[in-house]
Amino acid sequence: MQRDIRKWFMKAHDKGNDNAEKKPPPTEPKTETPVCGGQEGSGRRKTSKYFVANKQKQKEDKEVEDLPVKRKAQNDDFQSVKPPPSKKVHKFDDEEEDDDDFSLPKKKNAASPSKKLKSSSGRGIAQKPVHVNESDEDDAKDTESPLKSGGRGRGGRGVSGAPSGGRGRGGGRGGFMNFGERKDPPHKGEKEVPEGAPNCLAGLTFVISGTLDSLEREEAEDLIKRHGGRVTGSVSKKTSYLLCDEDIEGRKSSKAKELGTPFLTEDGLFDKIRSSKNSKAPAREDSKVSVEKVASLPKKSPQKADLKSKSLMSNAAHKDLGAGSQQAKQKDQAIQCSSLIWTEKYRPKVPNEMIGNQSLVTQLHNWLKNWNEQFHDTGNKGKGKKQNDSTAKKAVLLSGPPGIGKTTSAKLVSKMLGFQAIEVNASDNRGKADAKIFKGISGSNANCIKELISNESLGFEMDRSKHLKTVLIMDEVDGMSAGDRGGVADLIASIKISKIPIICICNDRYSQKLKSLVNYCLLLSFRKPTKQQMAKRLNQVAGAEGLQVNEIALEELAERVNGDMRMALNQLQYMSLSMSVINYDDVRQRLQGSAKDEDISPFTAVDKLFGFSGGKLRMDERIDLSMSDPDLVPLLIQENYINYRPSSIGKDDNGMKRMSLIARAAESIADGDIINVQIRRYRQWQLSQTGSLSSCIIPAALLHGSRETLEQGERNFNRFGGWLGKNSTAGKNLRLLEDLHVHLLASRESNMGRETLRLDYLTVLLKQLTDPLRVLPKDEAVEKVVEFMNIYSISQDDMDTIVELSKFQGHGNPLDGIPSTVKAALTRAYKGESKSRMVRAADLVTLPGKKKAPKKRVAAILEPSDDGLREENGDALAESEEENSSDTEDMEGTGNGEKLQSELQSLNSKGIQVEVELKCGKESSKSKKTPTGRGKGGSASTEKKPAGRGRGGSGSSEKPGAKRKR
Amino acid sequence: MLWVDKYRPKTLDQVIVHQEIAENLKKLVTEQDCPHLLFYGPSGSGKKTLIMALLRQIFGTSAEKVKVENRTWKIDAGSRTIDLELTTLSSTNHVELSPSDVGFQDRYIVQEIIKEMAKNRPIDTKGKKGYKVLVLNEVDKLSREAQHSLRRTMEKYSASCRLILCCNSSSKVTEAIRSRCLNVRINAPKEEQIVKVLEFIGKKEGLQLPPGFAARIADKSNRSLRRAILSFETCRVQQYPFSSNQAIPPMDWEEYVSEICSDIMREQSPKRLFQVRGKLYELLINCIPPEIILKKLLSELLKKLDEELKHEVCHWAAYYEHRMRMGQKAIFHLEAFLAKFMSIYKAFLIATFG
Repeated sequence: MQRDIRKWFMKAHDKGNDNAEKKPPPTEPKTETPVCGGQEGSGRRKTSKYFVANKQKQKEDKEVEDLPVKRKAQNDDFQSVKPPPSKKVHKFDDEEEDDDDFSLPKKKNAASPSKKLKSSSGRGIAQKPVHVNESDEDDAKDTESPLKSGGRGRGGRGVSGAPSGGRGRGGGRGGFMNFGERKDPPHKGEKEVPEGAPNCLAGLTFVISGTLDSLEREEAEDLIKRHGGRVTGSVSKKTSYLLCDEDIEGRKSSKAKELGTPFLTEDGLFDKIRSSKNSKAPAREDSKVSVEKVASLPKKSPQKADLKSKSLMSNAAHKDLGAGSQQAKQKDQAIQCSSLIWTEKYRPKVPNEMIGNQSLVTQLHNWLKNWNEQFHDTGNKGKGKKQNDSTAKKAVLLSGPPGIGKTTSAKLVSKMLGFQAIEVNASDNRGKADAKIFKGISGSNANCIKELISNESLGFEMDRSKHLKTVLIMDEVDGMSAGDRGGVADLIASIKISKIPIICICNDRYSQKLKSLVNYCLLLSFRKPTKQQMAKRLNQVAGAEGLQVNEIALEELAERVNGDMRMALNQLQYMSLSMSVINYDDVRQRLQGSAKDEDISPFTAVDKLFGFSGGKLRMDERIDLSMSDPDLVPLLIQENYINYRPSSIGKDDNGMKRMSLIARAAESIADGDIINVQIRRYRQWQLSQTGSLSSCIIPAALLHGSRETLEQGERNFNRFGGWLGKNSTAGKNLRLLEDLHVHLLASRESNMGRETLRLDYLTVLLKQLTDPLRVLPKDEAVEKVVEFMNIYSISQDDMDTIVELSKFQGHGNPLDGIPSTVKAALTRAYKGESKSRMVRAADLVTLPGKKKAPKKRVAAILEPSDDGLREENGDALAESEEENSSDTEDMEGTGNGEKLQSELQSLNSKGIQVEVELKCGKESSKSKKTPTGRGKGGSASTEKKPAGRGRGGSGSSEKPGAKRKR
Repeated sequence: MLWVDKYRPKTLDQVIVHQEIAENLKKLVTEQDCPHLLFYGPSGSGKKTLIMALLRQIFGTSAEKVKVENRTWKIDAGSRTIDLELTTLSSTNHVELSPSDVGFQDRYIVQEIIKEMAKNRPIDTKGKKGYKVLVLNEVDKLSREAQHSLRRTMEKYSASCRLILCCNSSSKVTEAIRSRCLNVRINAPKEEQIVKVLEFIGKKEGLQLPPGFAARIADKSNRSLRRAILSFETCRVQQYPFSSNQAIPPMDWEEYVSEICSDIMREQSPKRLFQVRGKLYELLINCIPPEIILKKLLSELLKKLDEELKHEVCHWAAYYEHRMRMGQKAIFHLEAFLAKFMSIYKAFLIATFG
């Protein structure tokens, strides 16, 4: 297989050359387009260094192979007993597909047909091993042991579909356990679990039901999988056995009876496995040998003729010690090549080899293919065209989790379309380009990019078709961080002016950093490939490397790495160092520790901690659970711990034990709070484990059990922690209280603390404000209350605060019993008063976060004559201040006309400044003029109007200017 | 205007309750120099009143012309700048503030404001006696760090700046600060004194006081003069003319706390604990400080508890109050106290009555 791969590398020119020697006609176009060929060749050589190193060897091989390779087509016809015609058909299919999916540029097609032919045939071979192997084995088995015939094939295929379902159910079962715990097996661990032949259960499908005699369910699943069987969640026609020790009359058993599925006890299963070891294992050994024989037999004769197909079976060939010197050579190569990591070695070479996401790759292909026509049209300076096609984006953003081939597909597609890919990734500095572009390429990398995208390479004649086409691949754009200041913004700017296509790649499309970028890109989100797809590919790789791995093991591997192909390959390579045969167990064992952490929500964590089996969790598991969100989990625990009836108390008739456990848990939670203070305030992060221990683990350990509701109508699920909401409400109320406090202080009638205000004064204040409204006649009452409010500078908001803070759940509203007409009258009276009365000290105090209100009054005092107009002005003023917060600060406290006047002037000058700046700005002439005109108009009008109004006007006139600036 | 404010003594001469202290203070100030002062005593005993009267004694009426300001301090703390907002009351000669309002960053406020005051020293008309007075409220709530930083600045700038500290409990003020100040303990007024004040107000307002009514108010007031006057006025708003057996309305929050108290006495179960948690949240949301809640809760419980349990419950209340001050989320500790109480009380009930 190695050789096969290498052929791939060679194919571009070596093979082409070979062809050239043999068949003169195809070479001619090649000489016609030397740029193209040369380019590609050099590109390849760079990417695969190992190829250069081994070149000599390959050439040697080549010479031996040369003849057979070329005659291969005929050979196939002759010899094809084993590599059946299906292979050829397959090849053609691929070719057709190729044309459909990735119609190469016509020019290239025409220019080098030989190359194209090669490429497709090469790929055909790369995909072949699966078919060949399978058919070989099937055939062999068919002849040797009809009992097992097809079993293997089916087993393999069957498994590929099943386990996903099984897993899913497994999760569900875990949840179910929380409600009614499954009993432990009665004879747990008492029986000896037999070891059988590795694939003795191949092709059999099991469904497990109820409690087994000695095995936990997971153990049973493992056992079956280990021996090549398949476990599904529910009974169907395909089910071979229903594994159960007691008929619990469940859904499964009734279905099984209906379908006539045989029942199998645990002992029966053990017997099956044991017997396979005794009797079948030797038989199997035989069959294996014979398989090899059969497999190697046809190889020997056409050894020279069909080296390619043989190398595909290097799997078998490696073991075949009787093989000729050719094989020894192969082995040598295998050792030499192993220095290259597999992820590089088996990187897909054509887009069709990508696993999964084919439609996205096609989309990318089409986008790149049409790019030039869309944005870069020849001849007409196509500005109009660009506007027509507003949906088309100039860049594309590939996103998806790591290791699923985003970069690879970007590179492949661009290579396939004859683009030269320039890759910029996180290892390069991608900051904003220097303004001084004259530094040129010698400057930072960003400048290079600027150069690259904005310039076109100049040829001797301006024939665009001859131009070198480039594509920029910006890898890991979400990784642009502190070092790459302005990176994303610059990238967007680059996209706007770019004359070459840009492909951006990121992991997290929803990252905050990329929010702006997303608008300029065509979004393609790559998804994880399914584990069947991955297993298939891994199998090819394993085959190529001479590893014996069964599919179940590969699927397990695929599942464990969570869709990350790169990681899967790395793991596989790692395992290949120590063993050549890898089983399900090996994968399981190896990846147990390195399994990717699952994301767990705080609710799930709390469920698990408090659940029935919470007591069985290991300490590290508990710590993991409570650390899944070290802020939220303690809050959830605190909110819900009262609801649990601890399973440890047994029969507790008077609730005494439970109460004392709750008290202990509560104390522990409080401990957690104290530790949290130490962690946060004094940065004692080494305490975080202690913190989670006392705030989560101890309460959970004390109280885990069943949850019960405490209120009527409450749902029996964990509530969200109430503390956050209550705390924020308390904070809000405290602020309101502070406002009131400041107002009272400002009235200079009193000098109390905030706490005193709440504890002592508030009741009396409320009485003074509400009681008269209830008792006295309307007008008198209103007058009295307003007078009181004025004395203490209590505003209406403050009154609301007082009422709000005096409300207690379960007590009546303090405003009850006051007729709404009285309330309305009070409001009116207060408002009317506020126009005419003196400015109160409290009005001049600015409160944090409240800047608008006082202004209005200040404006109102300035010109005490005609009220109606003032009101309007005040409003306008307030509005303008909202827009323009810088002015509000100037206004604070002071309130004389001069100030206003000077501000007006400063504003005018600002308007002019804006204008000037805009003139300087390098905007197009059209956009320059509009704001200028407006700015002038605004400032001109302000000069004539009275001060109050003028400000409003100028404020609004400045607004467009300011916007323009941004 | 509320009576509390209306009849608050403005000068040291008008003081009714702590006459000897007022006399001493007056002497202290007239003899030129005034040391740093630390006023401490229970709330409602007249600390603030004395301080204001003292300021007036020192600076004359200008001390009454105060301006309320919401100031923002920009503080350079190493790598970052911290913006702190705090309300201050200031006249030309004094500044009053409660630095504990900004939480644990109070130390910056303390340092910054004192430095600033030291910088612009007022000059008297006579060209001397240039010192400002800084009144710090709630010193016992200052963080330990702030108190430490206060210690140094107190000495360094003592030429230009006098501190008057005011707090409830001197035990929470560090030894170092206490030793740098003249400590003035303001006792809670005796009930007879309260009655005297109430009668004085009644006379001024021209009210008919039934015999024994003032004494009842004083009794209810927990020896807090402010509380007494306020509830006196509440009674007035509620019903006039007074009747001798008129109910004296309790504070809204006190009522609520005693509800909680009777709740937990009646039933001890997880369900009840859950309900009580809601009530505690309600109190906290309404800005009742958790320490006050705990204190009130304990005193209500002590009224009803059996003799033998009192000691233990007091112990736990103290234990949890201490922890509450070390912690941050008061509700956790309050709840822990209630859970503890429930468990103790339940055990007691079962042991006694089976």
